[in-house]
Amino acid sequence: MWIRNIKWQFNSWAILTFVFVLLILLPNLSVFAQLFTEPNENWYHIKEYLLKSYVINSLTLVFFTALFTILIGVSLAWFVSAFEFPLKNFFKWGMVLPLSIPPYIGAYTYHGILNYTGVIQSELRNSFDISVEQKYFDIMTMPGAIFIFTMFLFPYVYIITKSFLEKQAASLVENARLLGSNSFEIFYRVIIPISRTAIIGGVSLVILEVLNDYGVVKYFGIQTFSTAIFQAWFGMGDHGSAVRLAGILMSIVIVILVLEKLFRGRRKYSFSTSKVRPIQKLKLTGIKGFGMSAYFFIVFSFAFLIPLAQLALWAFMTYDIIFTEEFYQLVWNSVFVALIAAILIVVAALIIGNYTRLSNGRIAKAASKVTILGYSMPGAVIAIGVITIFIGLDRKLFPVYEAIGLQPTLILSLSISMLIFAYVIRFLAIGYNSIESGFDKVGQSFTEASRTLGMSVTQSFFKVDLKMIKGAVAGGFILVFVDILKELPLTLILQPFNFYTLATKAFQYASDEMIQEASIPSLFIIMISGLSIFLFHKILEKEPS
Amino acid sequence: MYIEIKDLDFKYQNAKEHTIKGFCLSVHQGEIISILGSSGCGKSTILRLIAGLEVPSSGSIVINGKVMANHNRFEKPENRGIGMVFQDYALFPHMTVADNIKFGLRKMSRNEKLNRLNDLLELVGLSGYEKRFPYELSGGQQQRVALARALAPNPSLIMFDEPFSNLDANIQQKIRDELRDILKRTGITSIFVTHDQKDALALADRVVSMREGCVTKVGKPEEVINTNFNDVRFISN
Repeated sequence: MWIRNIKWQFNSWAILTFVFVLLILLPNLSVFAQLFTEPNENWYHIKEYLLKSYVINSLTLVFFTALFTILIGVSLAWFVSAFEFPLKNFFKWGMVLPLSIPPYIGAYTYHGILNYTGVIQSELRNSFDISVEQKYFDIMTMPGAIFIFTMFLFPYVYIITKSFLEKQAASLVENARLLGSNSFEIFYRVIIPISRTAIIGGVSLVILEVLNDYGVVKYFGIQTFSTAIFQAWFGMGDHGSAVRLAGILMSIVIVILVLEKLFRGRRKYSFSTSKVRPIQKLKLTGIKGFGMSAYFFIVFSFAFLIPLAQLALWAFMTYDIIFTEEFYQLVWNSVFVALIAAILIVVAALIIGNYTRLSNGRIAKAASKVTILGYSMPGAVIAIGVITIFIGLDRKLFPVYEAIGLQPTLILSLSISMLIFAYVIRFLAIGYNSIESGFDKVGQSFTEASRTLGMSVTQSFFKVDLKMIKGAVAGGFILVFVDILKELPLTLILQPFNFYTLATKAFQYASDEMIQEASIPSLFIIMISGLSIFLFHKILEKEPS
Repeated sequence: MYIEIKDLDFKYQNAKEHTIKGFCLSVHQGEIISILGSSGCGKSTILRLIAGLEVPSSGSIVINGKVMANHNRFEKPENRGIGMVFQDYALFPHMTVADNIKFGLRKMSRNEKLNRLNDLLELVGLSGYEKRFPYELSGGQQQRVALARALAPNPSLIMFDEPFSNLDANIQQKIRDELRDILKRTGITSIFVTHDQKDALALADRVVSMREGCVTKVGKPEEVINTNFNDVRFISN
């Protein structure tokens, strides 16, 4: 009988899913396994003198960024869902836009604004003859980094909390109002506690982004795990220690994921009630309404308007030296790798998604969990894992290379395939989530109908399922494409020699103190992400669920 | 016997108890069987097991001498040749009426397909509707398309899951009569699941009454429904 069951479960979908899961796990496991090997001498040095500051710096960044993104994100979400004030409809989606500016771009833009030759100081010097104390204008510090992360990451908390409040909170808020609480009390005593799960969901995304970051901390000269991994690998050539650091960072991420699960408890983001009723909004007029708009405007300015204006100004100054053959090559490189990786991700997500939905067993559930692993892992960790695997693979393939008349050198690990493979691991979850929710919405009955009409699982997939989730596939594709376009740490480590993308070139310009030259690639990235965010939220708003 | 189901047991993956316990049923060719029971008694699960959409934990299903499922065999749904009309019809929204009906027709020439399509449209009284999309049809029309689609590949058995639950009360009777008429005309063996004794009385040659995954009574509609008064009150609510 179990033979019958195995035969029934065992098809090409299952096998492919199994292969994908293995491919995702392999690099992660190879990093993790390193934790249990004998460390080298250099490691003792790192452990003795450096590890503590990596941990402290990383955790300080994480803690304060989490705190401030909660304060800003939740307050904005609450104001937008509970009050009516001038320009509310604009700010409602405007507050999502800061997500289109990757923090590393924000970092060098703000540095450019504030430094000695920046627009503020030169204006003060030239027009008012005021020289300022430099330390008050130095953003390349720990508080500066926290400011940058907060400004460009708070939308994660804002978006998730807002959609929670819009759907769930009406009756609770109305009750609290009836019981005589004012808005301030409602916020602290009702809103914060009930949105706990949503806030934790949003803030854990923020935390993972902070740990993933390499650009901001590197540019500001703050030693964290990401920078340490880079330094050990490239600076000291100490691969063992780099992998070991990655393993520790990976453990920290796993602890965070477990904590998130615990804090969220058994509840999901929403308890679904069929009656979705928006909160009756309080109309704020006069000075109160103006004050509210001013708060939104200030946040919007710092997180989007000011950096964008500065970049636009620089772009205006440099466009004639930037738009060259080389720049188009850059755009092509970026689009090319993002396109290939996004296609691979969508295909893998479709296969895993279709398998898990149809088989519905424990193994299938585990497979869908594994896809999320990559997205939680910081880019540097994945990069190290992927390099390790590819170099190992190259060594194994030496005889093959020789047999077909090639030099037995590193071929795979110097090629673009390594970068694309790493992208797939890191961003599979994004495509998968979109496709999974598409499948959820469609349900199983169409597939079942197709099968009772004589079509196999695979035929049904192409004739029915795929056509019905077109929208989700397109949505997932766009999200993945944009995320890859912005990606920095993975690309920096894994890009082949002399291969740059918009993101890495922009970062290189900025690191070489050619901030103005960085502006056009940066604006390109911002424009494309902004557009996709806009489209995505328009689509989401239209859909009834 | 045309259909022979013996000692069928079934348990959903996360459920504690068996949904189906020792289910047995024999059906003659051309018979119309109604499975009657309140919601959650496992009647829809029986259809899913016969169709091959679920795998029984034990027991056997044999149709027309062909083993569909037993302890070491499991025929996939696409190889069973069993038609099914789903509760929500599951008409493919991206296909026209004609494409929906032709979906299960394979190994036929274009002309044969077209002839089959026209025959079926005529049978269900929807000639002229082939270019429409499912959302452009009324509930009753959608159901007839679903019926035509299920009948198209000439299945050895056709099954209906709560065929009238999505229809307005005032047209239910009319549709019920039409359906019986079509089924009798084609002479196809059919099983339908319902919670409404009126459906069972009007349509079925024989009624199987179910409760908590077990068969409680089998017989002519009058026998089962009148004699088992407790059940009826329970069901008619």
